[in-house]
Amino acid sequence: MSPPRGPADRLDADALDLLRAIARRGVIARRLEEGAERAVLRSIVEATVRLFDAEAASIALYDPALGQLVFEVAAGEQGQGVIGLAIAPDQGIAGYVFTTGQALALSEVESDARFGRGTAEATGYVPRSIVAVPLVDERGTIGILEVLDKRSSVAFSLRDIELAGVFAGQATVAIRASRVERDLASLLRAALTSLAEPADRPTIERIVGLVTADLDGDDEGRLWTIVDRVARLRQADPGELELLAEILEVVARRAEGRAEQRRRSGRARGPR
Amino acid sequence: MTEALLPAWSEPFVEERRAGLVRSRPLGELDRASLFDGADGAGVTVAIIDSGVERDHPAVGGRLVRSVVIELGENDDEPTVRVDDEALDVVGHGTAAAGIIHALAPAAELVSIRVLGPDNRGKGVIFAAGLEWAIGQGATVVNLSLSSRSEVMFPIFHDLADRAYFANCLLVSAANNVQGASYPSLFAAVVSVAAHDIADPWTWFYNPAPPVEFGAYGVDVEVAWKGGGRVVATGNSFAAPHIAGLAALIRGRYPGATPFEVKTILAATANRPA
Repeated sequence: MSPPRGPADRLDADALDLLRAIARRGVIARRLEEGAERAVLRSIVEATVRLFDAEAASIALYDPALGQLVFEVAAGEQGQGVIGLAIAPDQGIAGYVFTTGQALALSEVESDARFGRGTAEATGYVPRSIVAVPLVDERGTIGILEVLDKRSSVAFSLRDIELAGVFAGQATVAIRASRVERDLASLLRAALTSLAEPADRPTIERIVGLVTADLDGDDEGRLWTIVDRVARLRQADPGELELLAEILEVVARRAEGRAEQRRRSGRARGPR
Repeated sequence: MTEALLPAWSEPFVEERRAGLVRSRPLGELDRASLFDGADGAGVTVAIIDSGVERDHPAVGGRLVRSVVIELGENDDEPTVRVDDEALDVVGHGTAAAGIIHALAPAAELVSIRVLGPDNRGKGVIFAAGLEWAIGQGATVVNLSLSSRSEVMFPIFHDLADRAYFANCLLVSAANNVQGASYPSLFAAVVSVAAHDIADPWTWFYNPAPPVEFGAYGVDVEVAWKGGGRVVATGNSFAAPHIAGLAALIRGRYPGATPFEVKTILAATANRPA
């Protein structure tokens, strides 16, 4: 009788390939969703600008790796300069609102008391008035939404702060939805753990490692570039999408044919 | 959509809803003039837990006597208190609070406790350490224009609010502009404040439906800001310093008054909603 074996030993090559395929699809879906998250956030700032009739609206999210607030999306005539700007989380109005979770509105700023003057100048637009509200989920503040210069009024009202808070709430929901279970390795680990005995933990780690090893590897970098481009194709019209599908089909068939040929010539040389 | 807009903490204090603030006053109406005339906050120390206070700003009137920064150590462990010789305000917000308090209570001494770290590490911990330091230093009134939503911090702030209360240290806290739990602003031992839009520092309302008990001027308030400047600001965090200033006047006039006595006087002298 053979000794008891862990799940990794029971997995044959086909099963592992299947898990790898699932993992790859998961990562592809995640990459596509990142585009979707950005699209939703963009639609939220666009709606914000329109509703406030403002010069600009933008959303900055805290990036724990950078330790900075990064402006992800913006809308409005004066909004675009801010995208990509990273600021310290205690800098200026955005930093204050992020750090304290307190929403506020400012206007009629004297020239020497500019809100985060460096920030404003870096974007090429110095506002006269601003409202900034935090994006708060159950774990804390994840970013901020700000609106600059309402055209119909010199200042933002208390009601404007609340309204901006509603948009910030929408943005938070959108972000949370796309971030949930984004981490494929932990998802896989959770699924396998629920199937296995506790003693199988090291084996589970091995499987997770094997399945996810190549996902973010450099050798597949070009594949991810393509996935990222596909994510940008939401703007394409039906004709363009059809053309693209046909091109991809031809290329994929060619690649599969070549792989099949290699397999056959491999077999011809003898068993592995 | 409209429903979502309604329940902010400042809602009871907007013009259309102020009539709802009416209640029978168990102590009758105390005479505001006899309580406040001639009061200037002498002998009172108001601590401002915020972004720092600009010592040289004209609105602070030279009343800033101490300035400290709360920081996390190298290993993110224990927060430390560092004296800030330069007395800087990294945003302008703390100077705004200081200016409002000084305008109401010109003889009160101000102490600045800067709790905005240079990064996002342990901000609740830094904030709590700032509050603990203020209580330990014997501050008479503490103005908190910020609060924490962290559930982890709930028991810590609850303990600090009780300690302040028993030490005769009155905590005045801005309610969050967006409704939701935030600490310590919603604790019973704290005076929680939201904004109304009547442009008068001497108009305040008592709200008989807690947790936010007071409404003070917090809409389009001209405030001091960093760089010696001024801005027009809106938010509950500009309402709280108005109540902190009034509390400083009461404590200057009645040095032994406890937090509940100060709260009682504030409620009994509040404006009747027109």
